Amino acid sequence: MFSFVWYLSFTATRLDRLHHRVETSWANLDAALKTRSALALEIARSNLSDPATSMLLLAAAHVAIVAEQSERAEAEEELSRLLISLLEESALDEDEELFRELSLARERLRIAIALHLESVTRTQAQRGRFIVKLFRLAGRAPLPVRYPFEDIEV
Amino acid sequence: MTNRRKLRIGMVSPYGWDLPGGVQAHIRDLALYCMDQGHEVSVLAPAMDESDLESWVQSSGRPVSIPYNGAVARVAFGPVANRRVRKWIQEGNFDLLHLHEPAIPSLSLLACWAAEGPTVGTFHVSAPKQRAIYAVGPILEPAIEKLHARIAVSQTARATLVEHIATDAVVIPNGINHSAFAIGDRTSEFGSRTIGFIGRFEEPRKGLSLLIESCEQLILSNIEFTLVIAGPGDPDPFLASMSDALQSRTRFLGRISDDRKQQLLRSLTLYVAPNTGGESFGIILAEAMAAGAPVIASNIPAFSNVLDAGTAGMAGMLFESENCSSLTEKISMLLEDSSQRARLQGVGIEHAKRYDWSSVGESVIDIYQLVTSSGEKVRLGSELRFARAGRSE
Repeated sequence: MFSFVWYLSFTATRLDRLHHRVETSWANLDAALKTRSALALEIARSNLSDPATSMLLLAAAHVAIVAEQSERAEAEEELSRLLISLLEESALDEDEELFRELSLARERLRIAIALHLESVTRTQAQRGRFIVKLFRLAGRAPLPVRYPFEDIEV
Repeated sequence: MTNRRKLRIGMVSPYGWDLPGGVQAHIRDLALYCMDQGHEVSVLAPAMDESDLESWVQSSGRPVSIPYNGAVARVAFGPVANRRVRKWIQEGNFDLLHLHEPAIPSLSLLACWAAEGPTVGTFHVSAPKQRAIYAVGPILEPAIEKLHARIAVSQTARATLVEHIATDAVVIPNGINHSAFAIGDRTSEFGSRTIGFIGRFEEPRKGLSLLIESCEQLILSNIEFTLVIAGPGDPDPFLASMSDALQSRTRFLGRISDDRKQQLLRSLTLYVAPNTGGESFGIILAEAMAAGAPVIASNIPAFSNVLDAGTAGMAGMLFESENCSSLTEKISMLLEDSSQRARLQGVGIEHAKRYDWSSVGESVIDIYQLVTSSGEKVRLGSELRFARAGRSE
């Protein structure tokens, strides 16, 4: 009996730790996304690209920055897709300082996404366990979710 | 006197020349009309296949699909497109540039930034307010300011322009070739008491499901008719939704040629446009009228304008948009009333003449003459100046 109570408490602690990890990894991801939009906006305003490219960047970055939580995933995904197309068309000049910063930001974003995905997946797996559900060990912590944009290349 | 001056005109298409689309069709017809009038025209457009273009069309490279404003746009942008635009302007020695849809990130916007001198812009779409319109202002506004004349293809396109970028435009509608529709043979091969529908019927905003619903009502009221539907798309989901009685009275023709479309419109008893919105102009109504098909259309603003609704000489019938019983009532009334049909036919053919290229094209050329009256040529602005103009915002 004692060992069972201990096990429950152990699992609850584990779960709590995981929830904290998800919060941290989301905060990191959120910051990385914001950096990317800010850089996209700066590039668009710097006249380093042709006007059509600048306009596309401005529109997508602006929408991503002002997006409400419910529209955020879609807006970030659109910005990701746009950046990929722009790079494919070599519409961004890789030698400029701002573009180097952007590619660094995208690199950091990729890492932030990987970390966040990992913590979300682990938490979801723990939350799905029978014992966790039965004894409501997760309390009222929201179930973390994966956003669609986390699955596409950035 | 200046009216007879021959011009060298450069037109820019934002969308792929070898992709189907209303804007490209409009540019092609306008270019042909201008050349008929003795002007020289060169069109710059993105193209998937550069080997198969008319001699007066130049490719800017292939169009790219990119997300913009919540939809996917197929446009050209980037350094390659920009270089080709600048080269085309430099070598073209144009008297004026006519840029189509310059307010979207496209070839037209690039040309607008690169050129100095007489420019005309035509705005085709009527769109709901863009989420990013305030953010793109610093790029859009200097470009729009440079246009010497702005044309909107309809009142709804003009309203969009006023609302989005606070600028006004002259309304010059899209053109049709009136005589091609009005003159020619009729055929009974489509059946008797025909109700026609032409368009990409799979798009919900075209309203085919509403028309089908109305036709089911007609069958319940024992009214005889044949439903003829033309346009690209898969008819099976629609056929599956129909009752057997309606299926046996429905013909899907698939995508049809221009000649066949003109013949079909001439042969119809009624043309129905049940669109629920998203139309800027509704050129099909002008074509149906020219061909002498009595028109029943939903009362969306674009259609009311084309039909001249509210005037004594109204050239068609409107029903309340998305209202099945209103549509059913109009169809059964017009099917039974041949004198009313004859009246609408007469008014329609006459009314549609204002959309003929001889009138529409002349209005456009009038604008060309106006903006080129100074004799100034189109030339390339320096890139440096654009950078500064943009930064000052």
